[in-house]
Amino acid sequence: MRLERLPTLRVNPSEQCTVNYHGKSYQGVAGDTVATALYANGVRVFGRSLKYHRPRGLYSLDGECSNTCMAVDGIPNVRAENTLAKNGMRVAAQNVIGSADFDWMGFMDKADWLMPAGFYYRTLHKPARLWPLALRQVRKAAGLGKISPDFKMKGRFSEIYPTADVCVIGGGPAGMSAALAAAESNLRVILLEARPWLGGCFDYRVSAFDAEKKLFERGRELAARVEAAANIRVFKHAPNVGIYNNNLVTAFQIGPPDGAYDERYIEIRATSVVVATGCIERPLLFENNERPGVMQVGCAHRLARTYGVMPGRRAVFSIGHDMGLEAAIDLCDLGMEIACVADIRDDGQAPDLLMALAERRIPFLKGWVAARTHGAKQVKKVTLRSIEGSVKRQFECDLLVASAGFTPLTGALTMAQARLRYDAHTGYFMPTQLPAKMHVAGTMTGRNHPLSIEASGRLAGLRAAADCGADNADAVTVADTHLGRLPGPERGTKLVTAPVKGRKSFICFDEDTTVKNIKQAIDMGFDVPELIKRFTSAGTGPGQGGIPGHNLPLFTARYQALSGATPLPTVARAPLVPTLVATYAGAHHDMCKRTPLDELQKRDGGVFRRIGVWQRARYFSEDLSCREEVLNVRNNVGMLDGSTLGKFRLHGPDALKALQRVYVGNMAKMSPGKIKYSAMCNEDGCVIDDGVVVKLSENEYYFTTSTARAGETAEWFRYHTRYDGWDYHIVNLTDGLGVVNISGPNARKVLQKVVDADISNEAFPFGGYREFTVQGAIPVRAMRLGFVGELSYELHAPAACMVSLWEILTEAGKEFGIRNFGVEAQNVLRMEKCHIILGVESEQRTNLLDLGLGFLWDRHKTDTKTVGTVALRQAEGDPNHFRLVGIEMENPERAPRDGSIIVDRRIRGYVCTARRSFSLNRAVGMALVEAESAGVGTRLEIFEDECDGRRLAARVVPMPFYDPPGNRMRM
Amino acid sequence: MIQIKKRSPIHFKAGIEKTEERGRWTVVLAYKDEGPGPYLVDLSHKTRWDLQDKNLSGFNPLGREVPVAPGACHLQDGTLIYRMNRTQAVIWQLNAAAAEMPGESAYTNVSDVSVGLALFGRNALAVVEKLCALDFHDPRQKPPFLLQGPFSHIPCHLVLMERGQGHDGALLLTCSRGYADSMAHAILDAGDEFGLRAAGEQRFNDWLERLSGHQRQVDR
Amino acid sequence: MALTISCPVCGKRNGYEFRYGGEDKGPRPDEKGLTPRTWCDYAHMNACVAGVQKEWWCHKNGCGVWFTIHRNTLTNLEVDGPEVTS
Repeated sequence: MRLERLPTLRVNPSEQCTVNYHGKSYQGVAGDTVATALYANGVRVFGRSLKYHRPRGLYSLDGECSNTCMAVDGIPNVRAENTLAKNGMRVAAQNVIGSADFDWMGFMDKADWLMPAGFYYRTLHKPARLWPLALRQVRKAAGLGKISPDFKMKGRFSEIYPTADVCVIGGGPAGMSAALAAAESNLRVILLEARPWLGGCFDYRVSAFDAEKKLFERGRELAARVEAAANIRVFKHAPNVGIYNNNLVTAFQIGPPDGAYDERYIEIRATSVVVATGCIERPLLFENNERPGVMQVGCAHRLARTYGVMPGRRAVFSIGHDMGLEAAIDLCDLGMEIACVADIRDDGQAPDLLMALAERRIPFLKGWVAARTHGAKQVKKVTLRSIEGSVKRQFECDLLVASAGFTPLTGALTMAQARLRYDAHTGYFMPTQLPAKMHVAGTMTGRNHPLSIEASGRLAGLRAAADCGADNADAVTVADTHLGRLPGPERGTKLVTAPVKGRKSFICFDEDTTVKNIKQAIDMGFDVPELIKRFTSAGTGPGQGGIPGHNLPLFTARYQALSGATPLPTVARAPLVPTLVATYAGAHHDMCKRTPLDELQKRDGGVFRRIGVWQRARYFSEDLSCREEVLNVRNNVGMLDGSTLGKFRLHGPDALKALQRVYVGNMAKMSPGKIKYSAMCNEDGCVIDDGVVVKLSENEYYFTTSTARAGETAEWFRYHTRYDGWDYHIVNLTDGLGVVNISGPNARKVLQKVVDADISNEAFPFGGYREFTVQGAIPVRAMRLGFVGELSYELHAPAACMVSLWEILTEAGKEFGIRNFGVEAQNVLRMEKCHIILGVESEQRTNLLDLGLGFLWDRHKTDTKTVGTVALRQAEGDPNHFRLVGIEMENPERAPRDGSIIVDRRIRGYVCTARRSFSLNRAVGMALVEAESAGVGTRLEIFEDECDGRRLAARVVPMPFYDPPGNRMRM
Repeated sequence: MIQIKKRSPIHFKAGIEKTEERGRWTVVLAYKDEGPGPYLVDLSHKTRWDLQDKNLSGFNPLGREVPVAPGACHLQDGTLIYRMNRTQAVIWQLNAAAAEMPGESAYTNVSDVSVGLALFGRNALAVVEKLCALDFHDPRQKPPFLLQGPFSHIPCHLVLMERGQGHDGALLLTCSRGYADSMAHAILDAGDEFGLRAAGEQRFNDWLERLSGHQRQVDR
Repeated sequence: MALTISCPVCGKRNGYEFRYGGEDKGPRPDEKGLTPRTWCDYAHMNACVAGVQKEWWCHKNGCGVWFTIHRNTLTNLEVDGPEVTS
């Protein structure tokens, strides 16, 4: 039965919505959460607890504990209280064997004496051989949701990065007032609200705001004004997840039904922030304080007022603040039988509320508190005691509304590094020092009077606007004075536990931590809440400390009263509410680079791999050894897409100085039409890049870098010349020019057919650079290099023309049987020539000399302050370095895997690249080994993963393996 | 004999309605079913020059002055010049015919280095907001202005050409040519909820004409 | 992620657009007379100030410029000058 006509409702009772819970259909209505839909259908036990498998039920409505975490559509640990019910949703209880109502593991509750605080660390480790067994059993019995390893997340995820002048966190009356105040200065304001609607603590209450309006009407009035303001951007159903330096605020938003996304990540950079997150209730601790049927004041009140669901038939209230009295009176008016209201306080209640209780003949006990609930799976009876414990009374009921007081939601503040201190008047942790451009407002400042709440919001909003440069000093003064005249922060209750021993009084529901566990931890010497939190795991569950966050410090201080301890808060960290990893991932666009020949190579059967930022054709057949591709280059002619190579134009009067600074060679010694191969080192003399440089004219150069370094090259040049003020300019042409590498003994014959220049060996020798056109139209920069060890031309041409160039060469090469070769074939070809690839034949510590590239270094240019040369000079003759050597396997059929280690009694080095060479019919490779193992003829033993102790044997041989004189690339 | 063509790195899935042969390019003038906007237009066939020198005030590309402040932009007769930093500017010829590049070595033709895209129309900036944390709504900045920063995680030149009601507006962006395909895909995906479609050059030309007309009125 | 850095060309931006270039240690020393120790001091030794330090950053995802800022390493916030501004 729904209360269908309440003006405060946020559900639409005329629209049905069906969820499936353990195979049965349950009717909810539009606007229901999964939790309220189930509760409306009489479900009281929602799941079982982590350790003791105790039945757990609806306790708050904002997902502050794991009680109502359920599996929804296969996703575990979904907070049922925060998740809107959708038609056809499949819901299941967690951590049960059987069902939530009849859990075969329920006996665990009797075994709590076996599990004192920290038992996992303290008891299960001796004898050591039992540990794995215990671990398995504990893991089976404990825990919350389960996820299958092959689970694939469904749903649409998105992201958004708005900028704001003022960001207000919390869409209650204070937050809305702050947003409206900030918006007066024409600033861009963002308002974040976790619930699907604005209104906060006004939204469901029917008490009077003023002579005309009730609180909920005032809430809706403010909401209408906020939503109508053009410069306020409202994100509803968007809980705040984190807040960082310089007011970077993160949140996620749950999408509307049929919206463009299910959840989206929000990242806001704001100039100023107002935190108006309000309060949650501080749980009351007594025996069986989490039995289904026990719930907080706001939960019971909102169930009825917001969702139209009566929380029970006959209720007992044990509360410590006027909101509890207000709820009891309102629920009584809505038709609930109130057996008794016990108030922790002896005095201080609002007179009109006391009168209203009396008018309704609700029994009212001052200075009393709930001490125990009775009933195995649901509350059947409650024992109340006077605060000092001397008197007790029992009441039959199916609902116990219990709450000790309020506690501000300070997570956002502590994350932002605000200092919090316990305030004895309110009993709250209050900020004593806020970060720059951050303000707090609303009930979290201890103000509960509606006018004070709004006024504090307005003041915070104006101050935030002032942070953004608004000229509103007068308005701030007026607002400040106004707030000063209104009721200030109210005195709060300090009581933590009823007068009980606390064996079944749960301070943290998520982790099944009792008051007794906390006492054990303190008795063992853990004296600070942060330490107790870690030892007992209280507050480390999905609720993020929402339940124990306040009670743990209070109780700890109370229990240590002799030492005069003041309560110390624990620290909140992101995510402040549980957030799906999928939401963080957002739209997840895979951004990769493709060469101009990408499509052509796919058409030719290229098998692509992501190599760095690029998608590259690695193979052109199923044969991953690339035999045919390799032999075709050696015996005929092949073409490789080398477009990923870094390419740069360098110009300006100081261009040469810049080259001299970063390259180890003497770049002043360059002749036109000839390429210079050189390398760049870092400050340690370790090689970071190699490539060729061409001098195009005075003060103009063209150079290439390895694919991996292309992105950082300009930055590297500028970094190492940052103090010099040199006049040179660098243009990154990497993506602007495609590269075809045409290699093999027939390469010249193919190329000659299509170019307008003489490319004979005499006119264009090895090491030369030429510019010509292909078919008279495509401008080409050509280099004769020998990376693969054959006659080879590297053709650089405008990216937009690359497809045509490739087609022309393919056509011209048809008569020779030209074919593609991929990155792997190139890898084998260059390995046979012992041409290195940096990052493969080198690692971070490999310097120029280790690689045998010392000849690139010009030792005489000392005035250029070349990067790395000081270290190289110091490294000369240092025996403690790996050396690059060629190796040949004893078994010619079997090459070790790349990266295999070389061992005798210890590790002597590792294999960089090794392949079965089809050109040589041997298995060869390159390895980095200790200097003493680097001599030709040394026998090396190679240990491969999963080799079962059978090592492979190799011998150090001279490099290169293929065509040692280098005749073939000079033909 | 193979016919030499120039090709864009972007291939929209939308059906082609109308094309035009221009130089070696086949320019798509219109796609089928372009919708009411926002639109994404491939500008990879437009010519762009990089100009770098210690003293940029000494240069007059196409008879224009180079804007002085970094981030400043200048649009006239279909040519956009934007200043990137103390020593660097870009000249982007958004109209159909491209001029010959001046011979000074300070100029580099970078038309193929990066890919140009235009994102404009209704809710165009709502698409931008999903891919980029940069602030295009900053009231202190008047369009056109340049921001250099990450867009869908890729460093880009982003020129806000126009800002209208709410999230309406126009953005020109360039990123490394290799990312063209990923970028177009990311933008179309982000714009799906707003009805973003690929559009041909005609749609861009009409918009540019309207913007220039509006600008001429303002100039008067 | 949350750090902001003011690029002299592009203005205040998210920290992830930048690359850190180390403490400001002045121009490269002359190679003449350098001992392994003095070289190492220049290349690798850092002051690791707990407070305000001058340091290099590159706006790698933006204009590409190298520049220095002052940052308080205790708060991870950029500050105006070399003095500690608390």
